[in-house]
Amino acid sequence: MKTIKVSFRVNDEQVAFQVKPYETLLETLRERLDLIGAKEACGMGACGACTVIVDGIPLRSCLVLTPEVNGASITTVEGLQKDGNLHPLQEAFMEKGAVQCGFCTSGMIMTAKALLDRNEEPTKKEVIQTMSSNICRCTGYKKIVEAVEEAASKRTSAG
Amino acid sequence: MILPKFDYKKAEDVASAIALYEGCKGQARYLAGGTDLVPLVKLRLSTPAAIIDLKGIEQLKTISRQGGRLLIGANVTLFELKNHAMVKEYFPALYESLDATSCETLQMRGTIGGNILQNTRCLLYNKSLEWRTARGFCYKMGGETCNVVPDAAACFSNYCSDNALSLISLSAGVKIAGPQGERKIRLEKIFSKDGRDPFKLKPGEILTEIQVPLKRSTGAYEKLRVRNAIDYPLLGVAVSMKDGKGKVCVGGIGPAPLVYDLKDLSGAGLKEVAQNARQEAKPVSNATLSAAYRKKMVNVLTQRAIKRALKEGK
Repeated sequence: MKTIKVSFRVNDEQVAFQVKPYETLLETLRERLDLIGAKEACGMGACGACTVIVDGIPLRSCLVLTPEVNGASITTVEGLQKDGNLHPLQEAFMEKGAVQCGFCTSGMIMTAKALLDRNEEPTKKEVIQTMSSNICRCTGYKKIVEAVEEAASKRTSAG
Repeated sequence: MILPKFDYKKAEDVASAIALYEGCKGQARYLAGGTDLVPLVKLRLSTPAAIIDLKGIEQLKTISRQGGRLLIGANVTLFELKNHAMVKEYFPALYESLDATSCETLQMRGTIGGNILQNTRCLLYNKSLEWRTARGFCYKMGGETCNVVPDAAACFSNYCSDNALSLISLSAGVKIAGPQGERKIRLEKIFSKDGRDPFKLKPGEILTEIQVPLKRSTGAYEKLRVRNAIDYPLLGVAVSMKDGKGKVCVGGIGPAPLVYDLKDLSGAGLKEVAQNARQEAKPVSNATLSAAYRKKMVNVLTQRAIKRALKEGK
């Protein structure tokens, strides 16, 4: 089958590939770019472990074909740190102990980042509603919600 | 899970999408958000030779008012629609069903057209090819039996769109474009009532627009599910009322939603509608809750939704 030329930005770096038309974004990120933060868990769009941000919108990368993101700008969990400093959300997840086995964490953080980018001061209810997009099978939801709230409050107090 | 091989084509407008479809000799599927289609293809429940991406079609992404109707492009995402000022104000049942659909992340990807045209679901259908081969193919997979109800003559798969129910309660219509031209049809008329092929759409047709009469309504949507996020409805009831009359739509049980008119708003009147809905609902053990419980809940949720819609109106 014919391959398709696709180019997009990942974590502020322009990349271009010839991809198979039936390749998912998750496969491209993990296997061509070695960005293994996004995880494959259910592969059916139910769990959210593969969440990455595409043009400001959190997407399940296991449900997205790579040809669909031609020209897009993508952020993965690897792109969150700046100059060696972790993102406030990553710090908060560590401080609050919101990581148990860690498999859902990168998806959780990307979902939370998209929330904080569009809503700087979410209420607890809004945080819970957004974070319910992702599944944590260790069921450590309370600490995850606390971590997102902490990151939000730090961000606003830091201006 | 790895996808099977297919070709990818991107359409610039509706006409070119239909032309691309015709070029594939019926072996293509249209792709909008992909939250229903991609899992089906991964499970080999759909094996298209080509996928035609409709997301580049600008005309399908707009919401506008025209002649007393709200025109919603089929590619408007559920999240955009939910946050549209008019939806909450005019169509509370639709707002609630959009909010109850899956989770925020999938609402941002899934489109309203795709949500309406999602395939019907069954515990014994939405499985991998290996699982299904071991069990034997059912009607919906092209086999000669139903794996849920032995000796049944029909397919009992469930139609699991939340938003079609509320749109039907709002008397919505849809515009469909296809190789033979364009047609308009009332939303409740697109269902074939056959779980094997749930929609009366001809090959190559695209749902392009949803049209909702722009009249202020009161309403509510009640959804039965195990978790409050991500889950498909195991039963959904939408109610919308305007000018002292109402429409109730019950779905999530069987391949097509059922519609009831609500003319008598007294306590006895709404009990009668709820009782009718319960009697007509024919759930079988093909979902994560028992058939008996889902049947019982038809009555409960119908009454609850109507009462909430009435309360809102006061």
